[in-house]
Amino acid sequence: MNFASFEPVIIFTLLNVVMALGLYITALSGQLSMATAAIAGVGGYGSAVLTVKFAWPFLPSVVLAALAAAIVGAFLALVTLKMRDFILKLTTLAFGEALAVLAFNWDYIGGANSFTGIGLKTTIWTALAATAIALYIAWRFDGSRLGLASRAVRDDPVAASAMGVPIARMRTITFALGGALVGMGGAIQAHYMLVISPHDLGFFVSLNFIIFLLFGGLQTLWGPVLGAVLLTALPEVLRFTNEYRLILYGLIIVLVVLLRPDGLLTRTPTGRAIRILGFTLVKARPVAARAAEMSAQPLPSYLLTRQAAE
Amino acid sequence: MELFLQQLANGLVIGSTYAVVAIGFALAFTVLRVINFAHPDIFMVGMFAGLAATAQWPALGLLVTLLAGAAGAGLVGFALERMVIAPLRGRDVLMTLIGTLGVAIVLQNGMALIVGPDPVAYPSLLPRRFIDIGPVALTLRQVANFAICLLLLGLVSLYVRATSYGRATRAIAERPDVAAAFGVNVARICQITILLASMMAGLAAVSVGMLYGSASAFVGLLYGLKAFICMLVAGNRYFEGVMVVALAIGIIEALVTGYLSSSLRDAAAFFVLIGVLYFRPNGLFGSYNT
Repeated sequence: MNFASFEPVIIFTLLNVVMALGLYITALSGQLSMATAAIAGVGGYGSAVLTVKFAWPFLPSVVLAALAAAIVGAFLALVTLKMRDFILKLTTLAFGEALAVLAFNWDYIGGANSFTGIGLKTTIWTALAATAIALYIAWRFDGSRLGLASRAVRDDPVAASAMGVPIARMRTITFALGGALVGMGGAIQAHYMLVISPHDLGFFVSLNFIIFLLFGGLQTLWGPVLGAVLLTALPEVLRFTNEYRLILYGLIIVLVVLLRPDGLLTRTPTGRAIRILGFTLVKARPVAARAAEMSAQPLPSYLLTRQAAE
Repeated sequence: MELFLQQLANGLVIGSTYAVVAIGFALAFTVLRVINFAHPDIFMVGMFAGLAATAQWPALGLLVTLLAGAAGAGLVGFALERMVIAPLRGRDVLMTLIGTLGVAIVLQNGMALIVGPDPVAYPSLLPRRFIDIGPVALTLRQVANFAICLLLLGLVSLYVRATSYGRATRAIAERPDVAAAFGVNVARICQITILLASMMAGLAAVSVGMLYGSASAFVGLLYGLKAFICMLVAGNRYFEGVMVVALAIGIIEALVTGYLSSSLRDAAAFFVLIGVLYFRPNGLFGSYNT
């Protein structure tokens, strides 16, 4: 077993985890962006231009590229603020394709011939560091007031708004923060692929990330991680099946969608029963017991309003 | 002027094919609330079903090839509805999108496994002849393709507007719950809709195969994205609107190819999409609330 031959798979898996987490944060306020690949492309092209045309070092150019992606993400959120659900998704799709067309026709960044000559800067440690950063950010955001507020916007915008949650600001924050992570992943990926082309920004690449999320499950942050890891590694693991590889890949996606429509990882705050072959090994705890348990604990500080804290 | 008219005619021919695939998309989306990503690949299956039929019975000619294309596509479409779309009814739009996308991956790569990944030759079945209409010269196959697609579009329009099933279809598109309360068999109409859309795609696929003289397992991608755009630009309230937009996009593409460059051809449809969605987010002719 040669470790080096697995390096590309591991790096791509890690970077896909980073970008899937970015999309998870974006989706936390209720809207799945269909322009993920385009925002990753903003990061990729941005960092490529900075390092090649301006001879910037790797790290600052990745940071600046992630910032640029965050700004583009925030812009996308502001454009789509007043739109209804389905039209919003379509607009993000069209936005992504528009960026791809822009990249295709802009000769400064290579146009149709792709941007080539990017230096190889990404190692497995860079990818690991990026994954750690993304996981930390996603985990902290998930449990923070902002995370709870954006979930409230997702579950019921009207009720959230009535409780004083600023919907527009939450959307913009989630799109910007998610865009930053996606842009960071895209920038680091560009320094591993060494070439970035307008086709990398297209709808079908974006669709991959949506599949990661829905496959793994949107209810926890570990769902997208699992989805990205499984679906990036799966075609490689299935390599021994040769030409049946992609057919099996498709079948597995269909089966998961049919058998676990909420994704592989779901969440039952009340605990769930474990049954094997009709025998109940662990009983599900009744909701009342769980509620009593929870109300016995002190509230975490971020749930307290200012007056209650004082 | 002559170039203009010629490209106009070429655009109408290719646009009519987009229209047939786009109508299939639009039917599935309005009636079943499903973005059927497997639809372009059902189109592809129809193409190869027709090819298999002519290879098996070369003497029987065009009609049997067309019927075989419709039958093959219809079969796959029906199975898709029963096995994947129906169990996911009422779920999020994206969930069925991913499910049908999985089916599309299976169909594409399954077909590539059978016929190989490269394009294969498609028999023409029609004599190689030019037909002059004024200053415009079209091949017989182009005319046949246009005629077949136009006939299909006319029949769909008739079906939706003038039959009781068509009225039920429109009722479900408007309000599925109310339609069900008034005794419309929603599940049955859904099956019929997908079957119809698939068979139409199969017929058009055979005609497109003859037009270009080649068939490939990955042909669906091209038509799928264009058809999807046509549906979005038109909105799904009027199927005739989708047809008009598809013809218009075909013409725009042909004109862009003729006057600007062929590399801008695929971008043209997206420019139209972004422009229209900006000014009319529900499409040119309006959409049902979905």
